[in-house]
Amino acid sequence: MVALETTARPQAAPHRLTLRGSVQVAIFAVALVLFFTPLVASAVFGFTLPGKGLTLEPLTDALQGTDFAAQLSSTLQLALLSTLGSLLLLVPTLLFLHLKAPKMLRLTEWLSVVPYVVPAIALVGGANLFFRNVAPSFLVSTYSLVPFYMVLSLPLVYRTLDAGIRALDVRTLFAASASLGATPLQTLVRIILPNMRPALLGASLLSCALVLGEYALASLLLHSTFPVFMVQVGMNQPRAAAALSFLTILATWLLLAALSGASAGRGRVKKTTITKGGSR
Amino acid sequence: MTTEIAGTVAGKAAVPGKVPPPAAPVVGRRGGSLAGWLGALPFLLFLSVFLIAPIATNIWTSFRVDGNFSLDPMARLFEPQYRDAFIQTINLSLLTAGVGGVLGLILAWALATSTRPQWLRNLVLSFSAVASQMGGVALAFAFIAAIGVQGMVTHVVLALTGWDLSASIPLASFWGLALVYLYFQVPLMAILMLPAFGSLKKQWSEAAYSLGASRFRYLRDVALPIMWPPIVGALLLLFANSFSAYATAYALAGGRVNLVPILIGFFTSGNVMTDDSFAAALVTGMIIIVVAAMGLRTMLERRTNKWLR
Repeated sequence: MVALETTARPQAAPHRLTLRGSVQVAIFAVALVLFFTPLVASAVFGFTLPGKGLTLEPLTDALQGTDFAAQLSSTLQLALLSTLGSLLLLVPTLLFLHLKAPKMLRLTEWLSVVPYVVPAIALVGGANLFFRNVAPSFLVSTYSLVPFYMVLSLPLVYRTLDAGIRALDVRTLFAASASLGATPLQTLVRIILPNMRPALLGASLLSCALVLGEYALASLLLHSTFPVFMVQVGMNQPRAAAALSFLTILATWLLLAALSGASAGRGRVKKTTITKGGSR
Repeated sequence: MTTEIAGTVAGKAAVPGKVPPPAAPVVGRRGGSLAGWLGALPFLLFLSVFLIAPIATNIWTSFRVDGNFSLDPMARLFEPQYRDAFIQTINLSLLTAGVGGVLGLILAWALATSTRPQWLRNLVLSFSAVASQMGGVALAFAFIAAIGVQGMVTHVVLALTGWDLSASIPLASFWGLALVYLYFQVPLMAILMLPAFGSLKKQWSEAAYSLGASRFRYLRDVALPIMWPPIVGALLLLFANSFSAYATAYALAGGRVNLVPILIGFFTSGNVMTDDSFAAALVTGMIIIVVAAMGLRTMLERRTNKWLR
Protein backbone atom coordinates (compact mmCIF):
# COMPACT_ATOMS: atom_id res chain seq x y z
CA MET A 1 0.00 0.00 0.00
CA VAL A 2 2.83 2.34 0.73
CA ALA A 3 4.50 1.45 -2.49
CA LEU A 4 5.84 4.75 -3.64
CA GLU A 5 8.07 4.54 -6.58
CA THR A 6 8.29 8.26 -7.00
CA THR A 7 11.81 8.99 -7.99
CA ALA A 8 13.34 12.41 -8.18
CA ARG A 9 13.11 13.80 -11.64
CA PRO A 10 16.54 13.25 -13.16
CA GLN A 11 16.20 16.23 -15.48
CA ALA A 12 15.47 18.69 -12.73
CA ALA A 13 18.12 21.27 -12.08
CA PRO A 14 20.54 20.08 -9.41
CA HIS A 15 20.00 23.25 -7.43
CA ARG A 16 16.29 22.65 -7.11
CA LEU A 17 16.82 19.02 -6.21
CA THR A 18 19.00 19.84 -3.26
CA LEU A 19 16.61 22.52 -2.05
CA ARG A 20 13.72 20.09 -2.21
CA GLY A 21 15.75 17.33 -0.63
CA SER A 22 16.86 19.50 2.25
CA VAL A 23 13.31 20.69 2.88
CA GLN A 24 12.26 17.06 3.11
CA VAL A 25 15.11 16.18 5.43
CA ALA A 26 14.19 19.16 7.59
CA ILE A 27 10.56 18.00 7.75
CA PHE A 28 11.67 14.51 8.72
CA ALA A 29 14.02 15.85 11.37
CA VAL A 30 11.34 18.02 12.96
CA ALA A 31 8.84 15.14 12.82
CA LEU A 32 11.26 12.74 14.49
CA VAL A 33 12.18 15.21 17.23
CA LEU A 34 8.50 15.82 17.96
CA PHE A 35 7.63 12.11 17.88
CA PHE A 36 10.48 11.26 20.22
CA THR A 37 10.18 14.10 22.71
CA PRO A 38 7.30 12.68 24.78
CA LEU A 39 8.86 9.22 24.71
CA VAL A 40 12.27 10.42 25.85
CA ALA A 41 10.66 12.69 28.40
CA SER A 42 8.58 9.89 29.89
CA ALA A 43 11.64 7.63 30.08
CA VAL A 44 13.77 10.32 31.71
CA PHE A 45 11.02 11.54 34.00
CA GLY A 46 9.97 8.04 34.97
CA PHE A 47 13.36 6.48 35.59
CA THR A 48 15.24 9.29 37.29
CA LEU A 49 14.95 11.22 40.51
CA PRO A 50 16.46 14.66 41.06
CA GLY A 51 19.90 14.16 42.64
CA LYS A 52 19.75 10.40 42.33
CA GLY A 53 20.22 9.81 38.66
CA LEU A 54 18.97 6.68 37.02
CA THR A 55 16.75 4.71 39.38
CA LEU A 56 13.79 2.40 39.49
CA GLU A 57 12.67 3.92 42.76
CA PRO A 58 9.59 5.83 41.55
CA LEU A 59 8.30 2.72 39.88
CA THR A 60 8.99 0.27 42.69
CA ASP A 61 7.61 2.70 45.28
CA ALA A 62 4.38 3.08 43.39
CA LEU A 63 3.96 -0.60 42.74
CA GLN A 64 4.61 -1.62 46.31
CA GLY A 65 1.54 -2.88 48.08
CA THR A 66 -0.67 -2.63 45.00
CA ASP A 67 -2.14 -5.54 43.13
CA PHE A 68 -0.27 -4.41 40.08
CA ALA A 69 0.55 -7.96 39.04
CA ALA A 70 -3.12 -8.94 39.17
CA GLN A 71 -4.15 -6.00 37.02
CA LEU A 72 -1.44 -6.59 34.49
CA SER A 73 -2.35 -10.25 34.31
CA SER A 74 -6.04 -9.50 33.88
CA THR A 75 -5.20 -7.16 31.00
CA LEU A 76 -3.00 -9.79 29.40
CA GLN A 77 -5.75 -12.38 29.80
CA LEU A 78 -8.25 -10.00 28.24
CA ALA A 79 -5.91 -9.43 25.31
CA LEU A 80 -5.45 -13.15 24.82
CA LEU A 81 -9.15 -14.02 25.16
CA SER A 82 -10.34 -11.19 22.92
CA THR A 83 -7.85 -12.16 20.26
CA LEU A 84 -8.76 -15.83 20.43
CA GLY A 85 -12.43 -14.96 20.44
CA SER A 86 -12.10 -12.76 17.37
CA LEU A 87 -10.18 -15.40 15.47
CA LEU A 88 -12.57 -18.18 16.43
CA LEU A 89 -15.56 -16.12 15.41
CA LEU A 90 -14.21 -14.58 12.24
CA VAL A 91 -11.95 -17.17 10.61
CA PRO A 92 -14.63 -19.89 10.24
CA THR A 93 -17.29 -17.35 9.30
CA LEU A 94 -15.15 -15.68 6.67
CA LEU A 95 -13.89 -18.95 5.20
CA PHE A 96 -17.40 -20.33 5.01
CA LEU A 97 -18.78 -17.22 3.36
CA HIS A 98 -15.93 -16.99 0.88
CA LEU A 99 -16.52 -20.61 -0.07
CA LYS A 100 -20.26 -20.92 -0.02
CA ALA A 101 -21.92 -17.56 -0.02
CA PRO A 102 -19.70 -14.70 -1.22
CA LYS A 103 -22.79 -12.53 -1.56
CA MET A 104 -23.14 -12.40 2.21
CA LEU A 105 -19.71 -10.82 2.44
CA ARG A 106 -21.18 -7.46 1.49
CA LEU A 107 -23.38 -7.44 4.54
CA THR A 108 -20.74 -8.71 6.93
CA GLU A 109 -18.20 -6.22 5.62
CA TRP A 110 -20.62 -3.40 6.03
CA LEU A 111 -21.34 -4.50 9.58
CA SER A 112 -17.66 -4.83 10.35
CA VAL A 113 -17.09 -1.09 9.93
CA VAL A 114 -20.05 -0.06 12.08
CA PRO A 115 -17.84 0.10 15.22
CA TYR A 116 -16.01 2.99 13.53
CA VAL A 117 -19.04 5.18 14.09
CA VAL A 118 -19.66 3.94 17.60
CA PRO A 119 -16.81 5.22 19.74
CA ALA A 120 -15.88 3.16 22.79
CA ILE A 121 -17.34 5.85 25.03
CA ALA A 122 -20.66 5.57 23.20
CA LEU A 123 -20.65 1.79 23.23
CA VAL A 124 -20.13 1.73 26.96
CA GLY A 125 -23.22 3.84 27.57
CA GLY A 126 -25.39 1.59 25.44
CA ALA A 127 -23.89 -1.58 26.87
CA ASN A 128 -24.56 -0.38 30.37
CA LEU A 129 -28.20 0.34 29.62
CA PHE A 130 -28.83 -2.83 27.67
CA PHE A 131 -27.19 -5.36 29.96
CA ARG A 132 -28.42 -3.75 33.15
CA ASN A 133 -31.94 -4.41 31.90
CA VAL A 134 -31.40 -7.78 30.27
CA ALA A 135 -28.71 -9.57 32.23
CA PRO A 136 -27.63 -7.49 35.23
CA SER A 137 -25.00 -9.95 36.42
CA PHE A 138 -23.22 -10.10 33.09
CA LEU A 139 -21.17 -6.94 33.48
CA VAL A 140 -19.87 -7.89 36.91
CA SER A 141 -17.10 -10.13 35.68
CA THR A 142 -13.98 -8.57 34.19
CA TYR A 143 -14.22 -11.11 31.40
CA SER A 144 -17.43 -9.45 30.24
CA LEU A 145 -15.12 -6.93 28.56
CA VAL A 146 -13.99 -9.59 26.07
CA PRO A 147 -16.94 -9.36 23.64
CA PHE A 148 -16.81 -5.57 23.67
CA TYR A 149 -13.12 -5.60 22.90
CA MET A 150 -13.88 -7.97 20.07
CA VAL A 151 -16.39 -5.44 18.77
CA LEU A 152 -13.94 -2.54 19.07
CA SER A 153 -11.20 -4.39 17.22
CA LEU A 154 -13.59 -5.76 14.62
CA PRO A 155 -12.92 -3.25 11.82
CA LEU A 156 -9.18 -3.88 11.91
CA VAL A 157 -9.27 -7.62 12.54
CA TYR A 158 -12.00 -8.31 10.00
CA ARG A 159 -10.18 -6.46 7.26
CA THR A 160 -6.85 -8.08 7.98
CA LEU A 161 -8.31 -11.59 7.90
CA ASP A 162 -10.46 -10.85 4.87
CA ALA A 163 -7.44 -9.57 2.94
CA GLY A 164 -5.52 -12.68 3.93
CA ILE A 165 -8.28 -14.96 2.66
CA ARG A 166 -8.77 -13.01 -0.56
CA ALA A 167 -5.08 -13.38 -1.31
CA LEU A 168 -5.44 -17.16 -1.10
CA ASP A 169 -8.18 -18.09 -3.55
CA VAL A 170 -9.64 -20.61 -1.12
CA ARG A 171 -12.06 -22.15 -3.64
CA THR A 172 -9.29 -23.37 -5.89
CA LEU A 173 -7.28 -24.62 -2.93
CA PHE A 174 -10.23 -26.58 -1.60
CA ALA A 175 -11.06 -27.98 -5.03
CA ALA A 176 -7.45 -28.93 -5.74
CA SER A 177 -6.91 -30.63 -2.43
CA ALA A 178 -10.29 -32.40 -2.66
CA SER A 179 -9.29 -33.77 -6.04
CA LEU A 180 -6.21 -35.22 -4.36
CA GLY A 181 -8.45 -36.94 -1.83
CA ALA A 182 -8.22 -34.62 1.17
CA THR A 183 -11.21 -34.06 3.39
CA PRO A 184 -12.29 -30.45 3.92
CA LEU A 185 -10.95 -30.60 7.48
CA GLN A 186 -7.54 -31.75 6.29
CA THR A 187 -7.49 -28.96 3.73
CA LEU A 188 -8.38 -26.45 6.40
CA VAL A 189 -5.73 -27.53 8.89
CA ARG A 190 -2.91 -28.37 6.51
CA ILE A 191 -3.42 -25.93 3.63
CA ILE A 192 -5.59 -22.96 4.51
CA LEU A 193 -4.56 -22.09 8.04
CA PRO A 194 -0.78 -22.36 7.45
CA ASN A 195 -1.16 -20.10 4.43
CA MET A 196 -3.14 -17.61 6.48
CA ARG A 197 -0.46 -17.31 9.13
CA PRO A 198 0.59 -13.75 8.28
CA ALA A 199 -3.02 -12.57 8.37
CA LEU A 200 -3.71 -14.43 11.61
CA LEU A 201 -0.59 -12.95 13.17
CA GLY A 202 -1.42 -9.47 11.96
CA ALA A 203 -4.97 -9.64 13.25
CA SER A 204 -3.77 -10.95 16.61
CA LEU A 205 -1.20 -8.19 17.06
CA LEU A 206 -3.69 -5.47 16.19
CA SER A 207 -6.22 -6.88 18.60
CA CYS A 208 -3.65 -7.19 21.40
CA ALA A 209 -2.36 -3.66 20.86
CA LEU A 210 -5.89 -2.32 21.14
CA VAL A 211 -6.79 -4.24 24.30
CA LEU A 212 -3.54 -3.37 26.08
CA GLY A 213 -4.36 0.33 25.86
CA GLU A 214 -8.14 0.33 26.22
CA TYR A 215 -9.32 2.59 29.01
CA ALA A 216 -12.85 3.90 28.43
CA LEU A 217 -14.77 0.62 28.64
CA ALA A 218 -12.72 -0.86 31.45
CA SER A 219 -12.89 2.19 33.68
CA LEU A 220 -16.55 3.00 33.10
CA LEU A 221 -17.66 -0.58 33.59
CA LEU A 222 -15.62 -0.48 36.82
CA HIS A 223 -13.05 -3.12 36.02
CA SER A 224 -9.47 -2.66 37.06
CA THR A 225 -7.19 -3.32 34.15
CA PHE A 226 -3.69 -2.08 33.54
CA PRO A 227 -4.62 1.27 31.94
CA VAL A 228 -7.09 1.92 34.75
CA PHE A 229 -4.34 1.18 37.25
CA MET A 230 -2.05 3.58 35.41
CA VAL A 231 -4.52 6.42 35.78
CA GLN A 232 -4.88 5.72 39.51
CA VAL A 233 -1.10 5.78 39.91
CA GLY A 234 -0.90 8.94 37.84
CA MET A 235 -3.17 10.82 40.27
CA ASN A 236 -0.40 11.16 42.82
CA GLN A 237 2.74 9.53 41.42
CA PRO A 238 3.39 11.12 38.05
CA ARG A 239 6.90 9.68 37.82
CA ALA A 240 5.73 6.11 38.19
CA ALA A 241 2.93 6.77 35.70
CA ALA A 242 5.47 8.13 33.25
CA ALA A 243 7.64 5.04 33.68
CA LEU A 244 4.66 2.74 33.10
CA SER A 245 3.61 4.82 30.10
CA PHE A 246 7.03 4.51 28.59
CA LEU A 247 6.98 0.74 29.02
CA THR A 248 3.47 0.55 27.56
CA ILE A 249 4.37 2.64 24.55
CA LEU A 250 7.49 0.57 24.03
CA ALA A 251 5.51 -2.68 24.20
CA THR A 252 2.85 -1.39 21.80
CA TRP A 253 5.53 -0.14 19.47
CA LEU A 254 7.25 -3.51 19.44
CA LEU A 255 3.92 -5.25 18.76
CA LEU A 256 3.19 -3.00 15.82
CA ALA A 257 6.76 -3.22 14.56
CA ALA A 258 6.44 -7.01 14.68
CA LEU A 259 3.27 -6.61 12.67
CA SER A 260 4.86 -4.57 9.91
CA GLY A 261 7.84 -6.93 9.98
CA ALA A 262 5.55 -9.92 9.61
CA SER A 263 3.58 -8.49 6.74
CA ALA A 264 6.67 -7.18 4.96
CA GLY A 265 8.52 -10.46 5.42
CA ARG A 266 5.79 -12.64 3.98
CA GLY A 267 4.56 -10.23 1.40
CA ARG A 268 1.23 -12.03 1.45
CA VAL A 269 -0.99 -9.73 3.35
CA LYS A 270 -1.36 -6.29 2.03
CA LYS A 271 0.20 -3.93 4.49
CA THR A 272 -2.28 -3.95 7.30
CA THR A 273 -4.68 -1.12 7.45
CA ILE A 274 -4.29 1.18 10.31
CA THR A 275 -6.91 3.79 10.40
CA LYS A 276 -8.40 4.80 13.63
CA GLY A 277 -7.15 3.97 17.06
CA GLY A 278 -9.60 2.35 19.36
CA SER A 279 -7.81 2.92 22.62
CA ARG A 280 -8.09 6.61 22.99
CA MET B 1 -5.81 2.76 2.82
CA THR B 2 -8.16 5.65 2.29
CA THR B 3 -10.13 3.73 -0.21
CA GLU B 4 -10.88 0.90 2.08
CA ILE B 5 -13.96 1.95 3.95
CA ALA B 6 -15.44 3.07 0.70
CA GLY B 7 -14.40 -0.21 -0.83
CA THR B 8 -16.28 -2.05 1.80
CA VAL B 9 -19.30 0.15 1.83
CA ALA B 10 -19.54 1.06 -1.81
CA GLY B 11 -19.46 -2.55 -2.70
CA LYS B 12 -17.00 -5.04 -4.01
CA ALA B 13 -18.32 -4.63 -7.51
CA ALA B 14 -15.28 -2.45 -7.99
CA VAL B 15 -12.94 -5.44 -7.94
CA PRO B 16 -14.52 -8.19 -9.96
CA GLY B 17 -12.39 -10.99 -11.20
CA LYS B 18 -10.67 -11.50 -7.88
CA VAL B 19 -13.22 -13.96 -6.67
CA PRO B 20 -13.54 -16.65 -9.30
CA PRO B 21 -17.05 -17.29 -10.59
CA PRO B 22 -19.02 -19.62 -8.34
CA ALA B 23 -17.29 -22.87 -9.13
CA ALA B 24 -19.90 -25.39 -8.23
CA PRO B 25 -23.32 -24.14 -7.22
CA VAL B 26 -24.03 -27.23 -5.16
CA VAL B 27 -27.33 -25.91 -4.00
CA GLY B 28 -29.82 -23.75 -5.76
CA ARG B 29 -29.99 -20.00 -5.39
CA ARG B 30 -32.37 -20.10 -2.47
CA GLY B 31 -30.40 -22.82 -0.76
CA GLY B 32 -27.22 -20.87 -1.33
CA SER B 33 -28.50 -17.79 0.39
CA LEU B 34 -29.90 -19.91 3.20
CA ALA B 35 -26.45 -21.42 3.70
CA GLY B 36 -25.04 -17.92 3.66
CA TRP B 37 -27.37 -16.75 6.39
CA LEU B 38 -26.65 -19.85 8.42
CA GLY B 39 -22.91 -19.42 8.03
CA ALA B 40 -23.06 -15.78 8.98
CA LEU B 41 -25.41 -16.49 11.87
CA PRO B 42 -22.83 -16.64 14.70
CA PHE B 43 -21.28 -13.40 13.49
CA LEU B 44 -24.66 -11.70 13.11
CA LEU B 45 -25.84 -12.91 16.51
CA PHE B 46 -22.65 -11.74 18.15
CA LEU B 47 -22.92 -8.28 16.65
CA SER B 48 -26.63 -8.07 17.43
CA VAL B 49 -26.06 -8.69 21.10
CA PHE B 50 -22.88 -6.72 21.67
CA LEU B 51 -23.15 -3.87 19.19
CA ILE B 52 -26.61 -3.42 17.68
CA ALA B 53 -28.66 -4.08 20.81
CA PRO B 54 -26.66 -1.67 23.00
CA ILE B 55 -26.89 1.10 20.37
CA ALA B 56 -30.58 0.45 19.81
CA THR B 57 -31.29 0.44 23.53
CA ASN B 58 -29.38 3.65 23.87
CA ILE B 59 -31.24 5.44 21.08
CA TRP B 60 -34.56 4.09 22.37
CA THR B 61 -33.79 5.28 25.88
CA SER B 62 -32.81 8.73 24.71
CA PHE B 63 -36.35 9.26 23.45
CA ARG B 64 -38.17 8.04 26.51
CA VAL B 65 -39.01 9.58 29.85
CA ASP B 66 -40.90 7.52 32.43
CA GLY B 67 -41.96 5.00 29.84
CA ASN B 68 -43.36 7.47 27.34
CA PHE B 69 -42.00 8.83 24.11
CA SER B 70 -40.44 12.20 24.69
CA LEU B 71 -38.12 14.60 22.98
CA ASP B 72 -37.12 16.20 26.28
CA PRO B 73 -33.78 14.41 26.76
CA MET B 74 -32.62 15.36 23.27
CA ALA B 75 -33.91 18.91 23.78
CA ARG B 76 -31.86 19.17 26.96
CA LEU B 77 -28.74 18.79 24.84
CA PHE B 78 -29.35 22.41 23.86
CA GLU B 79 -29.17 23.70 27.42
CA PRO B 80 -26.21 26.08 27.67
CA GLN B 81 -23.94 23.77 29.67
CA TYR B 82 -24.34 20.84 27.31
CA ARG B 83 -24.48 22.90 24.18
CA ASP B 84 -21.19 24.38 25.30
CA ALA B 85 -19.73 20.87 25.64
CA PHE B 86 -20.75 20.04 22.08
CA ILE B 87 -19.37 23.33 20.80
CA GLN B 88 -16.08 22.84 22.66
CA THR B 89 -15.71 19.29 21.38
CA ILE B 90 -16.53 20.34 17.84
CA ASN B 91 -14.05 23.21 18.09
CA LEU B 92 -11.36 20.93 19.43
CA SER B 93 -12.02 18.43 16.67
CA LEU B 94 -12.08 21.10 13.97
CA LEU B 95 -8.88 22.65 15.27
CA THR B 96 -6.93 19.41 15.56
CA ALA B 97 -8.29 18.11 12.26
CA GLY B 98 -7.43 21.38 10.49
CA VAL B 99 -3.97 21.94 11.93
CA GLY B 100 -3.22 18.22 11.96
CA GLY B 101 -4.47 18.01 8.40
CA VAL B 102 -2.16 20.74 7.10
CA LEU B 103 0.90 19.44 8.95
CA GLY B 104 0.02 15.87 8.03
CA LEU B 105 -0.24 16.81 4.36
CA ILE B 106 3.22 18.35 4.49
CA LEU B 107 4.57 15.22 6.14
CA ALA B 108 2.79 13.00 3.60
CA TRP B 109 4.25 15.05 0.77
CA ALA B 110 7.75 14.62 2.19
CA LEU B 111 7.20 10.90 2.71
CA ALA B 112 5.76 10.41 -0.77
CA THR B 113 8.39 12.31 -2.72
CA SER B 114 11.55 11.84 -0.74
CA THR B 115 14.07 9.37 -2.05
CA ARG B 116 17.40 10.52 -0.78
CA PRO B 117 18.13 9.05 2.62
CA GLN B 118 15.94 5.99 2.35
CA TRP B 119 16.55 4.95 5.96
CA LEU B 120 15.37 8.33 7.27
CA ARG B 121 12.19 8.13 5.24
CA ASN B 122 11.48 4.59 6.43
CA LEU B 123 12.14 5.54 10.03
CA VAL B 124 9.71 8.46 9.84
CA LEU B 125 7.17 6.29 8.05
CA SER B 126 7.19 3.55 10.66
CA PHE B 127 7.08 6.10 13.46
CA SER B 128 4.13 7.81 11.83
CA ALA B 129 2.30 4.49 11.62
CA VAL B 130 2.85 3.87 15.32
CA ALA B 131 2.20 7.43 16.49
CA SER B 132 -1.05 7.56 14.52
CA GLN B 133 -2.27 4.69 16.68
CA MET B 134 -0.98 6.13 19.90
CA GLY B 135 -3.29 7.73 22.31
CA GLY B 136 -5.00 6.99 25.48
CA VAL B 137 -3.57 6.96 28.92
CA ALA B 138 0.06 6.29 28.04
CA LEU B 139 0.28 9.24 25.66
CA ALA B 140 -1.30 11.52 28.25
CA PHE B 141 1.32 10.67 30.87
CA ALA B 142 4.12 10.92 28.34
CA PHE B 143 3.00 14.47 27.64
CA ILE B 144 2.77 15.27 31.34
CA ALA B 145 6.38 14.10 31.58
CA ALA B 146 7.33 16.34 28.66
CA ILE B 147 5.44 19.60 29.05
CA GLY B 148 3.67 19.22 32.36
CA VAL B 149 4.47 21.42 35.34
CA GLN B 150 7.52 19.32 36.19
CA GLY B 151 8.11 18.12 32.65
CA MET B 152 11.50 17.72 31.07
CA VAL B 153 10.85 20.12 28.21
CA THR B 154 9.28 22.63 30.58
CA HIS B 155 12.43 22.61 32.70
CA VAL B 156 14.75 22.96 29.73
CA VAL B 157 12.75 25.79 28.21
CA LEU B 158 12.48 27.54 31.57
CA ALA B 159 16.22 27.29 32.15
CA LEU B 160 17.07 28.51 28.66
CA THR B 161 14.55 31.28 28.15
CA GLY B 162 12.79 31.85 31.42
CA TRP B 163 9.44 31.10 29.78
CA ASP B 164 7.18 28.79 31.74
CA LEU B 165 5.66 26.55 29.09
CA SER B 166 3.34 24.72 31.45
CA ALA B 167 1.81 27.98 32.65
CA SER B 168 1.16 29.30 29.15
CA ILE B 169 -0.26 26.06 27.80
CA PRO B 170 -1.55 24.01 30.72
CA LEU B 171 -2.15 20.44 29.61
CA ALA B 172 -5.51 20.34 31.36
CA SER B 173 -6.96 22.96 29.06
CA PHE B 174 -8.45 23.21 25.62
CA TRP B 175 -5.13 24.20 24.04
CA GLY B 176 -3.17 21.60 25.96
CA LEU B 177 -5.53 18.87 24.77
CA ALA B 178 -5.28 20.18 21.23
CA LEU B 179 -1.50 19.92 21.39
CA VAL B 180 -1.62 16.34 22.63
CA TYR B 181 -4.23 15.33 20.04
CA LEU B 182 -1.98 16.67 17.31
CA TYR B 183 0.55 14.03 18.30
CA PHE B 184 -1.66 11.38 16.74
CA GLN B 185 -3.63 13.52 14.29
CA VAL B 186 -0.62 14.66 12.24
CA PRO B 187 0.83 11.20 11.60
CA LEU B 188 -2.67 9.81 11.04
CA MET B 189 -3.27 12.37 8.31
CA ALA B 190 0.11 11.55 6.77
CA ILE B 191 -0.61 7.81 6.78
CA LEU B 192 -4.08 8.33 5.35
CA MET B 193 -2.86 10.61 2.57
CA LEU B 194 0.16 8.56 1.47
CA PRO B 195 -1.76 6.28 -0.93
CA ALA B 196 -3.39 9.28 -2.57
CA PHE B 197 -0.01 10.96 -3.06
CA GLY B 198 1.39 7.69 -4.34
CA SER B 199 -1.29 7.32 -6.96
CA LEU B 200 -0.95 10.83 -8.37
CA LYS B 201 0.41 9.68 -11.68
CA LYS B 202 3.69 11.15 -12.76
CA GLN B 203 2.43 11.35 -16.32
CA TRP B 204 -0.16 13.90 -15.26
CA SER B 205 2.40 16.38 -14.06
CA GLU B 206 4.65 15.67 -17.02
CA ALA B 207 1.76 16.20 -19.41
CA ALA B 208 0.80 19.42 -17.67
CA TYR B 209 4.34 20.79 -17.66
CA SER B 210 4.92 19.81 -21.27
CA LEU B 211 1.81 21.77 -22.21
CA GLY B 212 3.33 24.77 -20.53
CA ALA B 213 1.55 24.73 -17.20
CA SER B 214 3.27 26.32 -14.27
CA ARG B 215 3.72 24.40 -11.06
CA PHE B 216 0.88 26.41 -9.50
CA ARG B 217 -1.36 25.80 -12.47
CA TYR B 218 -0.69 22.07 -12.24
CA LEU B 219 -1.56 22.05 -8.53
CA ARG B 220 -4.72 24.08 -9.06
CA ASP B 221 -6.10 22.42 -12.17
CA VAL B 222 -4.87 18.83 -11.92
CA ALA B 223 -3.64 17.81 -8.49
CA LEU B 224 -6.20 19.59 -6.35
CA PRO B 225 -9.35 18.47 -8.20
CA ILE B 226 -8.16 14.88 -7.90
CA MET B 227 -6.86 15.13 -4.37
CA TRP B 228 -9.62 17.03 -2.65
CA PRO B 229 -11.98 14.12 -2.00
CA PRO B 230 -9.32 12.05 -0.20
CA ILE B 231 -8.10 15.15 1.64
CA VAL B 232 -11.56 16.09 2.88
CA GLY B 233 -12.28 12.42 3.63
CA ALA B 234 -9.16 12.15 5.75
CA LEU B 235 -10.03 15.40 7.53
CA LEU B 236 -13.46 13.99 8.38
CA LEU B 237 -11.86 10.88 9.83
CA LEU B 238 -9.54 13.07 11.90
CA PHE B 239 -12.55 15.01 13.09
CA ALA B 240 -14.39 11.86 14.17
CA ASN B 241 -11.23 10.52 15.73
CA SER B 242 -10.78 13.55 17.91
CA PHE B 243 -14.47 13.85 18.69
CA SER B 244 -14.62 10.37 20.16
CA ALA B 245 -11.35 10.43 22.10
CA TYR B 246 -11.99 9.81 25.77
CA ALA B 247 -9.01 8.26 27.56
CA THR B 248 -6.51 10.93 26.56
CA ALA B 249 -8.82 13.77 27.51
CA TYR B 250 -9.86 12.20 30.78
CA ALA B 251 -6.32 11.35 31.91
CA LEU B 252 -5.13 14.88 31.12
CA ALA B 253 -8.00 17.09 32.07
CA GLY B 254 -10.56 15.11 34.02
CA GLY B 255 -13.53 17.41 34.39
CA ARG B 256 -11.59 20.61 33.77
CA VAL B 257 -12.47 20.78 30.09
CA ASN B 258 -16.11 20.57 29.14
CA LEU B 259 -16.13 17.89 26.45
CA VAL B 260 -18.89 15.53 25.32
CA PRO B 261 -16.94 12.27 25.84
CA ILE B 262 -15.99 13.34 29.36
CA LEU B 263 -19.58 14.29 30.14
CA ILE B 264 -20.73 10.89 28.92
CA GLY B 265 -18.11 9.31 31.14
CA PHE B 266 -19.39 11.19 34.19
CA PHE B 267 -22.97 10.22 33.48
CA THR B 268 -22.17 6.59 32.78
CA SER B 269 -20.01 6.08 35.84
CA GLY B 270 -22.66 7.67 38.03
CA ASN B 271 -20.45 10.52 39.19
CA VAL B 272 -23.29 12.88 38.60
CA MET B 273 -26.98 12.40 39.27
CA THR B 274 -28.11 9.33 37.40
CA ASP B 275 -30.37 10.15 34.54
CA ASP B 276 -30.43 7.33 32.04
CA SER B 277 -32.43 9.18 29.43
CA PHE B 278 -30.18 12.17 29.38
CA ALA B 279 -26.96 10.12 29.42
CA ALA B 280 -28.38 8.18 26.49
CA ALA B 281 -29.24 11.43 24.74
CA LEU B 282 -25.63 12.59 25.05
CA VAL B 283 -24.46 9.34 23.48
CA THR B 284 -27.05 9.63 20.72
CA GLY B 285 -25.90 13.18 20.02
CA MET B 286 -22.33 11.99 19.75
CA ILE B 287 -23.22 9.10 17.47
CA ILE B 288 -25.18 11.43 15.20
CA ILE B 289 -22.17 13.69 14.76
CA VAL B 290 -19.71 10.85 14.19
CA VAL B 291 -22.07 9.11 11.77
CA ALA B 292 -22.49 12.35 9.84
CA ALA B 293 -18.73 12.80 9.54
CA MET B 294 -18.03 9.21 8.55
CA GLY B 295 -21.03 9.03 6.20
CA LEU B 296 -19.83 12.11 4.37
CA ARG B 297 -16.41 10.51 4.14
CA THR B 298 -17.85 7.37 2.56
CA MET B 299 -19.64 9.44 -0.04
CA LEU B 300 -16.47 11.33 -0.85
CA GLU B 301 -14.51 8.14 -1.17
CA ARG B 302 -16.76 6.88 -3.89
CA ARG B 303 -15.62 9.88 -5.87
CA THR B 304 -12.02 9.18 -4.95
CA ASN B 305 -12.17 5.69 -6.28
CA LYS B 306 -12.82 6.93 -9.77
CA TRP B 307 -9.35 8.46 -10.05
CA LEU B 308 -7.04 7.07 -7.46
CA ARG B 309 -6.37 3.38 -7.44
